[in-house]
Amino acid sequence: MKRKLSWLILIFAFSLFFLYGGPAGAQQKPIVIGGSLPLTGVWAETAKVIQRGYEFWVEETNAKGGLLGRPVKLVIYDDEGKPDSAVKLAEKAITVDKVDLLLGGYPGTAARPVMPVAEKYKMVYVSMGGHMASFTQGYTYSFGAPPLMGEWWFLGAFQWLETFPADQRPKRAAVYIMNNPVGTALLSSIDEYTKKLGIQVIINEKYNLPLPSAEPLVMKAKQMNCDLFISGGVFPDGVMTVKAAKALKYNPKAYFQGVGSAIPAWTKELGEDGNAIVSGTSYHEKLNNPSNKMLIKRVKEKLNMDSVDTYFGFSVAWLQTLFAGVEGTKGLDQTKIRDWLRKNKVETVAGTFTFDAKGLPAPFTYTTQVVDGKIELIYPADIRSHKGIYPKPAWK
Amino acid sequence: MKELSQTGKKNRPALFAGIGVVALLALFPLVAPAPYFLSMLYMVFLYVVLAESWNIIGGFAGYLSFGHVAFFGLGAYTTAFLMNKLALSPVATILSSIPGGFVAALVAFVIGYPCLRLRGPYFAVVTMCFAFVVHMVMQNIDLFGGVEGLWLPAMKQPIHVIRGIFYELMLALMILVILFVRWMEGSKLGKGLVTIREDEEVAQTLGIHTPRIKALAFVLSAFFPGVAGGLHAYYLTYISPENVFDVMVSILIVLMTLFGGGGSWLGALIGAVSLSLVNEFLTTFVGAEIARIIYGMLFIGVILFMPNGIMEFFRRRRRVRLAAEEVSES
Amino acid sequence: MGGIYALLGVGFSLTWGVMRVINIAHAGFGVLAAYIAYSLLEKTGLDPLLSLLISLPSFFFGGMILHRGLIRPITKARETIVASMVLTFGLAIVVENVMLWIWKADPRVLKPSYSGTAVFIGEVGLPIAQLVGFGLAAVGILLLYLFLNHTHTGKAVQATWQEKEGAALMGINLQKVSEIAFGLAIAAAGMGGVAMAMMYTFDPPVHNFWLIYMFLVVIVGGVGSILGTALAGLILGVITGLCMAFIPYQWINVLTFGLLIVVLLVRPQGLFKTGV
Repeated sequence: MKRKLSWLILIFAFSLFFLYGGPAGAQQKPIVIGGSLPLTGVWAETAKVIQRGYEFWVEETNAKGGLLGRPVKLVIYDDEGKPDSAVKLAEKAITVDKVDLLLGGYPGTAARPVMPVAEKYKMVYVSMGGHMASFTQGYTYSFGAPPLMGEWWFLGAFQWLETFPADQRPKRAAVYIMNNPVGTALLSSIDEYTKKLGIQVIINEKYNLPLPSAEPLVMKAKQMNCDLFISGGVFPDGVMTVKAAKALKYNPKAYFQGVGSAIPAWTKELGEDGNAIVSGTSYHEKLNNPSNKMLIKRVKEKLNMDSVDTYFGFSVAWLQTLFAGVEGTKGLDQTKIRDWLRKNKVETVAGTFTFDAKGLPAPFTYTTQVVDGKIELIYPADIRSHKGIYPKPAWK
Repeated sequence: MKELSQTGKKNRPALFAGIGVVALLALFPLVAPAPYFLSMLYMVFLYVVLAESWNIIGGFAGYLSFGHVAFFGLGAYTTAFLMNKLALSPVATILSSIPGGFVAALVAFVIGYPCLRLRGPYFAVVTMCFAFVVHMVMQNIDLFGGVEGLWLPAMKQPIHVIRGIFYELMLALMILVILFVRWMEGSKLGKGLVTIREDEEVAQTLGIHTPRIKALAFVLSAFFPGVAGGLHAYYLTYISPENVFDVMVSILIVLMTLFGGGGSWLGALIGAVSLSLVNEFLTTFVGAEIARIIYGMLFIGVILFMPNGIMEFFRRRRRVRLAAEEVSES
Repeated sequence: MGGIYALLGVGFSLTWGVMRVINIAHAGFGVLAAYIAYSLLEKTGLDPLLSLLISLPSFFFGGMILHRGLIRPITKARETIVASMVLTFGLAIVVENVMLWIWKADPRVLKPSYSGTAVFIGEVGLPIAQLVGFGLAAVGILLLYLFLNHTHTGKAVQATWQEKEGAALMGINLQKVSEIAFGLAIAAAGMGGVAMAMMYTFDPPVHNFWLIYMFLVVIVGGVGSILGTALAGLILGVITGLCMAFIPYQWINVLTFGLLIVVLLVRPQGLFKTGV
C-alpha cells in the first residue's frame, strides 16, 4: 500500500518535471506563435490543410526577414477535436510555452471556448470564430479575419439569383440543413432572402449527421416541385445528396451546397455531376486582390501546387492579420495590437478588412460555383471569374 | 474478498502519505504555477471524479454504464441554464452545480429501475442509447440552446485566480468522491454490491434487496458527475450538446476504471490519473497520429499482460509474494 | 441500408456470441477494407466487388492471426468481455490512426462504374450502387448462415458457442474453432465495410459512427443470431425510411434509439433470438 502511493507520488512529480521542461520553451530570439489544431480525429483533414497554410506563411515571413526582424517559430498541438483539449492546450501555449502570439484554431466548436480564454489572458485571437453567436459575447480580443460566418454564407448566392429577371428565378425552395451550429447559422440568410426574393419555402428541415440516406430528402423536394434546392450540409452528406438527386433525376433550377463543394475532392468524387453547384466562401484562390495573387504565385513556385484550398487561404489570412498588427504596433503588446486592428485596414488574401467592435469585417461572401470541374467565383461582379451557370443543366 | 481489508488498518504511513499528497496538491496554486498546470490537473481531477463515481455502479456492482456522460452533461446544462435564466452571481453559479448533481441523480433514479433489470452488455447498451437520446433531445430543444449551446459569462477575476478556484473545487470534489468510495468499499452497501457483481442470484437469496441497492448505487454514481458537470460548465463558459454529451467520454471513463482495476477506489484513481497523464505526454512530445497509435497500443499492451486491470495485477503479485513469505517462514 | 449494417453486424455478433469478445475494432476493419477497395479501384480500376476476392481471404487469415496473438491471451481474464473491450478499443485507435497515416484524412467515396445511376419503379428510384451494396450484404449474410448451419466447421462453431464444455468433450478443438470464427468475423467486417462504402463516404474516424448502428442492429436482433441481425437490419432500414416520411429529420435518431431502449427493456435477448 505504502509502496503504491509512493510510486504514485514519484510518477506525479516526474510528470510535472517533464511537462514543465517541455519542448517549446520560449527562447530569446524567435517570436513564438502557438496553439492547437485537431490533427487527429474527425476534423483532421481540414486541420492538416490549415497547418500547411500556417507553416507556409511562417516560412514566407521568415524568408523576408521575419517579424520585427525576428524569426517566427510555430508550435501546434493536437487537440483531437475536443473543445476541452483545445482550451487546455491554448492555456499551455500561453502560460507554459509563453507564446508571443496565439494561433487560430479549428473548427468553430473548438474556437468558441478558446475565445473566452484568449479574452481572459488578453491575447489577440484571430480565427474563423464560431459564427455570429461567438462574436456577440463581448470578447474584444477575438477577430474573424476572415470568419467562417454561416450567417453570411448564402448572401452572395441569393444576390446572384437576384441578378436574373424575376420570372426566371426559382419560386419554391427545399431547404435541408444539418443539425449543428454551422448549419443553423445558414438559416438566417436563407430566411431573409427567400422573403426578399419572393421564394416560397416549401420544405425546411434539419437532419442529423451522419445522414442515413439522401433519397427521401430529394424525393420530397422533387414531388413538391421545388426548383431551388438548398443542401446545407458538409461533404459526406453533400456528395450523397447530389448522387441521390442524379439517380432520382431531380433537376432544380439552382442547387446550393453548404460546405464541401469548393474543394477538389468534390469534383474528384462526383465528376461532372458536381457541376453547377453553388456555394459560398470567405476566401477563394481566384480572388484577384494583390495579396492573393502574390500568394498563388508563391505557392506555385515553392510548393508546386496549382490550387490553394479554402482553409489554406484562411490560415494565411489569419496570420497576415495578426502579423499586420504586430508590425503596425512595432511590438508584441496584445492590447495595443487589438486596438490597432480596430483602427486600421488590413490587407489579406481574402480581401481588405476593417474590423468593427465585434471583431468582424463588414458582411461579405464570395459565391462559388463548380464549372467544368473547376471552382469559379460567380459573385460579386467585381471579383468574379465566371458569369455563373443558370439554370442548372439537367444531369447527364 | 479478503483484499478489502488491505485498505484498512495498519496503514498509518500510507495515511500520512495520502494527507501529504493532498496538502501538496491543495497548496500548489500558491506557488503561482502557469495556469496551464492548474487546468491540466483540473482535468485529471475531473476524470478521477467521473471514474470513481462510475466505479460505484460499474466496478463494484458490475453494471457497466456506457452512458455516464449523460449525467455529466445534465449537470452542466442545469448550471448553465440556471445561470442564464436567473442571472446568478459567480458564487451562486458554483453552488448551482449541486442542483446539477440532483438533476442527474433524479434522472438516474427514474431510468435506473427499468434499466437495472437488464444484465451485462444489455445494460451497457441501454445506458449508451439513453445517453444518445439525451444528447439528441438537448440538441433539438431551443430552450436549452439547441445545437448552438449555452454561453456563461465568465467570472471577473483574473485568469489565474479563476483557474485556481476551479482547481481547488475539483480537488475538493475529487477528495470527497474518493473518500466516499473508500468508505463505501468497506460498508455494507459496498459489500452488497460486490456480492451482486459476483453472483446476483446468490445475493438475492442472501436477503439483499437487489433492486433497491442497485438503484441506490446508480443514483450515487450519477450525483457526483452531475456536480462535476455543473462546475465544468462554468469553467469552460461555453457548453454545447456535442462537447458535454460526448460518447467518447463515457467510453473513456469505463476504460479508465477497468484499466486501473474496477471495484477498488485505488484502481479507478490509478486508471484515471495514469491515462490522463499519458495522454498529456503523448500530445506534448509525439507527432499526432503516432501519439494516438501509442495510446491505443497502451491499452492493448496492458490488457494482454494485466487482463483484470492494473490493481488486480499488483494484488495478485502481492498475494503471491505474501504466500511465498509465509511458506519460507514456516 | 439496414441490410448493409446487418452485414457489418453479423461478424460482430458472432465474436460476441461465440467468444464473449466485444470487438470494438470491428467497424474499423470494415473501413480498412473500404480503403483497400478504394485504392485498388483507383490504381487498377478493379471493381470493388472483385477486390473482395483479394481482401476477404487476407482479412480471414489476418483475423486468425489477430486472434492467436491478441484474443487468446485475454480469455484468461476474469471477465473476458471487459478485457476484450479494453483491448479492442486500443486496437480500434491503432487501426484508425494507421489508416489516417496512410490514407490521410480526406473523405473518400467508392465510385464503381455504376454509381449515380438508378433503376426506376414507377416514381420511386433505387440507386444501383445501393442495390449492389444490399446485394452484397444479402450474399454475405447468406454465406455466413450457410456456413454456420451446413458445414462441419460451422456447426462446430455453433456448438462451441452454445455449450462450451460439451463441445470440448466432443473433441472439438475450442481454440481452432474460435480462431476460425474470429477470422470469419473479420472477413465479414471487410465485406460489410465495402458494402457500406458503396453507399456512404468514409474516412478514418467514420468507424465510430458505424459502430453505434452496428450495436443497435446486433442487440435488437439478438447477439449471436445471424438471422436476427439480418432482420434487425431490415427493420432498422424500414423504420428509418418511415420516419423520414413522417417526422422531422432531426428527431429520427431520437426515435430510433428510443425504440432500441424500449426493445431492450422489454425483450433484451433481442427480437429473434431463441434460447441462449
